[in-house]
Amino acid sequence: MASSPEADHAYSLAYEELRRLAQCLLVGERHASISPTTLVHEAWLKLRGGRFTVESELHFKRIAARAMRQVLVDAARRRRAEKHGGGLTLVAFDEGLDAPASTDEQVLALDGALTELEHRYPRQAEMVESRYFAGLSIPETAELLGVSVATVNRDWRAARAWLAAELRCAG
Amino acid sequence: MPADGGWSRLADCFAELVDLPAADREAALDRLTAGEPALRMELVAMLAADGRTGHPLDQDVAAAAGVLIGGAPAAPPQVGPYRLERRLGEGGSAVVWLATRPDLDHQVAIKVLRDAWLSPERRERFLQEQRILAQLNHPAIARFHDADSFADGTPWLAMEFVPGSPVTEYADAHRLDLQSRLRLVRSVAEAIEYAHQHAVIHRDLKPSNILVTDAGAVKVVDFGIAKHLEDPSDPHPTRTGLRFLTPGYASPEQLTRAAVGTYSDVYALGVVCYQLLTGRLPFDPSGRTAEELAALASQGAPPPSIHLPPGTRRALAQDLDVLCATAMHPDPSRRYRDMGALIEDIDHLLAGEPLRARRDSLGYRAGKFVRRNARAVVAAAAALLVVITLVVFYTVRLRASRDIALAEAARAERVQRFMLNLFEGGDPSAAPADTLRVLTLMDRGLQEVRSLEGAPRTQSELLLTLGGLYQKLGRLDRADSLLGAALAERRARTGDRSPEVSDALLALGLLRLDQARLNDADSLVRQAIMIDSLTRPAGHIARATARTALGRVQEAQGDYPAAIATHGAALDLHATRDSGSAAYWDAATQLANAHFYAGNYDTADSLNRLILAADRARRGAGHPAVAEDLINLGATQFERGNYAEAEAYYRQALAINRAWYGEDHHAVAANLTMIGRAQIRALRWEDAVGALEEALAIRERVFGPDHPNVASTVNELGTVALRRERFDEAERHYLRANAIYRATYGDRHYLVGITLSNLGSVGMGRQDNAAAERYLRQAVALFTEALGPDHSNVGIARTKLGRALLRQGKYREAIEESTAGYQILGKQASPAMNFITNARADLVTAYTALGQPEAAVRYRDSTAASGPK
Repeated sequence: MASSPEADHAYSLAYEELRRLAQCLLVGERHASISPTTLVHEAWLKLRGGRFTVESELHFKRIAARAMRQVLVDAARRRRAEKHGGGLTLVAFDEGLDAPASTDEQVLALDGALTELEHRYPRQAEMVESRYFAGLSIPETAELLGVSVATVNRDWRAARAWLAAELRCAG
Repeated sequence: MPADGGWSRLADCFAELVDLPAADREAALDRLTAGEPALRMELVAMLAADGRTGHPLDQDVAAAAGVLIGGAPAAPPQVGPYRLERRLGEGGSAVVWLATRPDLDHQVAIKVLRDAWLSPERRERFLQEQRILAQLNHPAIARFHDADSFADGTPWLAMEFVPGSPVTEYADAHRLDLQSRLRLVRSVAEAIEYAHQHAVIHRDLKPSNILVTDAGAVKVVDFGIAKHLEDPSDPHPTRTGLRFLTPGYASPEQLTRAAVGTYSDVYALGVVCYQLLTGRLPFDPSGRTAEELAALASQGAPPPSIHLPPGTRRALAQDLDVLCATAMHPDPSRRYRDMGALIEDIDHLLAGEPLRARRDSLGYRAGKFVRRNARAVVAAAAALLVVITLVVFYTVRLRASRDIALAEAARAERVQRFMLNLFEGGDPSAAPADTLRVLTLMDRGLQEVRSLEGAPRTQSELLLTLGGLYQKLGRLDRADSLLGAALAERRARTGDRSPEVSDALLALGLLRLDQARLNDADSLVRQAIMIDSLTRPAGHIARATARTALGRVQEAQGDYPAAIATHGAALDLHATRDSGSAAYWDAATQLANAHFYAGNYDTADSLNRLILAADRARRGAGHPAVAEDLINLGATQFERGNYAEAEAYYRQALAINRAWYGEDHHAVAANLTMIGRAQIRALRWEDAVGALEEALAIRERVFGPDHPNVASTVNELGTVALRRERFDEAERHYLRANAIYRATYGDRHYLVGITLSNLGSVGMGRQDNAAAERYLRQAVALFTEALGPDHSNVGIARTKLGRALLRQGKYREAIEESTAGYQILGKQASPAMNFITNARADLVTAYTALGQPEAAVRYRDSTAASGPK
């Protein structure tokens, strides 16, 4: 993704907004499942038109997808650190203790694999990011990347396999 | 290597292979990847992995997200080098822990700002800022040690732990008297002054951030934190106004998200002072909507003296009123200039000496060409709300007040556009590359810019921009020093005749225009034009801009033919560059205005019709710019005496502004007032009263019932009543306006004088000449002191006074006053003819009554009506 002051600024805003939204959604709903796709859409509604210029909703979602990924990765890191660092707990600790212990590991591993994919095939990494974290559909992805639906279908399948292979190697 | 890194090939091969039965894959692999072992390996790995179940991409990311994002962060026992001891408490957005560090002898407070997620880009900036805070070393400022963020972005801060209570609680617990409380404020002011000198603004001063230990030591905490806690998203923006609800201490510019500066700290400290003196906040924020709060704040605080203990000395109470009013003035440029000035006045107060602020508030410029009372508070960001307070100066000539209102509105719209552009990051002609940095720099004050000694070009560019910004916000003295510095730097670096020097000269010239120093403005702008002609190509936009500036100077000087020619030339220059651009149409508007002032109504009209069409096309038929054009078209009708047509245009403008801004907006009130005036001229009294009362109701709602804007409408209603000879009603209105002006500006302000003069007219109308005399004498004295003895208001008042005296048979005094009035008015550039005629007629009568016919003859005009009415 092109880096420019505007994009950086947009990214920062998206990141903070998504984080805040996620937090808001979970307050009071202990076992709710939040959909990042919904979050990204919510963030788009809030941020569009005002604070920064993005040409289209898709463009925004591409940025937001990256931000969403970072949000999840940051959260996973924190949880992992807590488990290893241990010790002092605050009164209001989260209910996530019940959750499968592998979730954060999984997300972090995926993040690592995606990073590898970025190095090799950046466009495809972008595609995966947008689809997975922002929930873009196949036609939307096609429009965003400027390719045909058939290409997206082919690429998605291959990228999945590539990532799976990468994860396997990484152990 | 192909452009896509080989992906297409990889993907195509994979697609072909994955659907083959396992038995056939080997052969296909050999065929497809002959001689490319790396590609084959990749495909093999992919095919193997693809068969597995439980691919993470197959799972709903929502499930993962739900697990990961939740709850409050746990606190590790070690935060950087600090060891947490126990939890101290929980604030709105932070948890505070007591901690120690092995090498420090005092305890440390660690504040973990949860809910303040910082993206990776912002973390670095956050850290940089906190490092600057760490350099603050002052006994009354809580020492700041450290700041960082956890791996997930949660920021934390380490600062000196202050075992104290908020300053208000401390003062009450120790039953401190007024003087001691003021001394506390003074200590805080000293600490903030130190911080300001180090380019740090607190932004969030309130009693809970001003702690006092048992030993009586004052410590200010939490500098600049508020900046990072701002919620980056607003709810859906609406045009009728959206402001943050920050309880009690936020200045108007913070409430409207305008630029924040050291003056915002002055405001907050004023609120704290108010609270210390009276035990309550100036505005009770509870239960108030954001709009109410901001409207209240922009109206000005009620004087603290009404809440002081009953035995307080009157002089002290008044001085405390002035102190708080100055510190908390809604207009940043009217506040104490800095903490030093506030400290100075506190010292005066404690020593029983007169306050400086009181002295300064009396000198208030007025007159035909004072274009503004700089009270522009602008909100950028998603809300895009502009709050502009217009004070309309009344003179006899209605056209003059329309000038000022037009210029005010035009200027205010320019400021609004500018600030909007600033935030959007897109006005290249007004700011250097990084406009967001410009705003930040403004916050930090000039210290930052001055420290750029090693980069003089950048520094001078920023000085020029900052100067322009300050000017637009009405802080002319500051703008003056900055622009002067920019000019000096450029002269030293590039010599006297470079384009850069020309830019600086132009900026300074426009400042002089705002300062009403017209000769200087003229000379500076002409210098800029001259340099441009030598150093810039013919089509350069700077040349057109400079021309427009010259045109404005000429308008201000009253040389309308020259202004017309100049604006025309500027328009031609714009046309050759890009006719149809915004700059072109702005220049066209300038030209149309010049024609209007010169009285060329037909030309003004045809230009304005073109501009109207262009604005409708460019911005949409419902845009306020279109309303402004319609008002201009109405104004020429008004001047020609076609009041019905004028009213029709005004009503069109009203509809647009109502739809755009909503009902409760100053623009709507202004439109209604114009309609009312047109109706007055057409002698449609009932309708005029209706329109004016509607405008009054809006202004009362928007500004509060005791605001000067309300007073001006009330005054107007009084004048209508006067003309209908409803003297009781007129008197009621004028008394109300008088009371408001007195309360706002003090007893010696010329607006108070206007209401007194009007009350004199009521007296005359009732044939109570003695009362009229009393009022008019006061008015004359006030005008003379406030505006100078040769001001036209003085002339008018003395003429009226002469008549009142004449009617009581006090002929000698009448002659003195009428003669003085006559002479003053005679010297005016565009004199008020009816007053002059009246003065002359009165003098004839007076001299005749005294038996001095030869003196009477001097004043007898063969065409004038004889005798007073």
